[in-house]
Amino acid sequence: MKLFASLKTKFVIWVWNHTPSCAEMSWLTSRALEQPLTFKMRLKMRLHFVICAWCRRYFEQINFLHTHAPRMGMQLGELPGRGLSLDAKSRIKTQVRKNLTLAL
Amino acid sequence: MSELPASPAPSPPARTAQLSDPERWVDEHGDYLFKYALSRLRDPLKAEDAVQETFLAALKGGKSFQGRSAEKSWLVGILKNKVCDHYRKAGRETSFTDLEFYKDEESDRFVPDGMFKDGWIHEVGPQEWNSPSASLDSEVFWQTYRDCSNKLPKNIATVFNLREVDGIESKEICAMLNISENNLWVMLHRARMALRRCLETNWFGKQEGAQ
Repeated sequence: MKLFASLKTKFVIWVWNHTPSCAEMSWLTSRALEQPLTFKMRLKMRLHFVICAWCRRYFEQINFLHTHAPRMGMQLGELPGRGLSLDAKSRIKTQVRKNLTLAL
Repeated sequence: MSELPASPAPSPPARTAQLSDPERWVDEHGDYLFKYALSRLRDPLKAEDAVQETFLAALKGGKSFQGRSAEKSWLVGILKNKVCDHYRKAGRETSFTDLEFYKDEESDRFVPDGMFKDGWIHEVGPQEWNSPSASLDSEVFWQTYRDCSNKLPKNIATVFNLREVDGIESKEICAMLNISENNLWVMLHRARMALRRCLETNWFGKQEGAQ
């Protein structure tokens, strides 16, 4: 058991020394959404994930936001909040009417 | 709260269909378009202008539409272009790069020195999110999302919205805003980081107790 624990610690330290730091991992997570990373870098990231639950979560959560953000565009106008004021509405209608008569 | 009319405004019988349509647009889609424009431009007057320009441009287009939803997405499409025109102009006139923001935003969450320097501090690093997909159906979740997005500095939020919400390619955004690709990446990285943190604090971190 003791041997296993010491091997585990050695493995974690080896991986830590051979992969990007967590700060770098967060940058790479975002970077990968813009341009494919090299195979070597992707491999290093995978390896880091083996020893680090925090980077794994960060990666999953950033990708979750990336996947679902487009829905915000559709939700936006439906959410409660300030709409056009009555003043603005009648002003816009006047402009629209003016342009209509110009167009005719 | 919302000023959305419960039913479409009746059009006066004396008017021609052509005349009543654009005015109906203002009643039916005005609020939706305004909220969209306001979230992107963050200035009520500019947002009103953008909505007005949208209706005038739609008028010039002068097409007729079969469904209400088609009409709406057509108007939203025009508004998106108006908002992009605004960014283009802003990108030509001022520097769009905002790299100062949150330079050290997460630095207090990383180990400052020693053997595990720049590793997440376990207690304050990213926490497990409870069934995030279930949140997508909650209106309160999207309100939280909107509030978090509104807390981002304007330029950071702009690039995030163009890239993540509208799904426009990096290169196109760089050309629009007149910024380098590397600057865009840095801004996106900070936006994602800040948004993730805000949602964790204000939504995902609270879910267990609330439900």
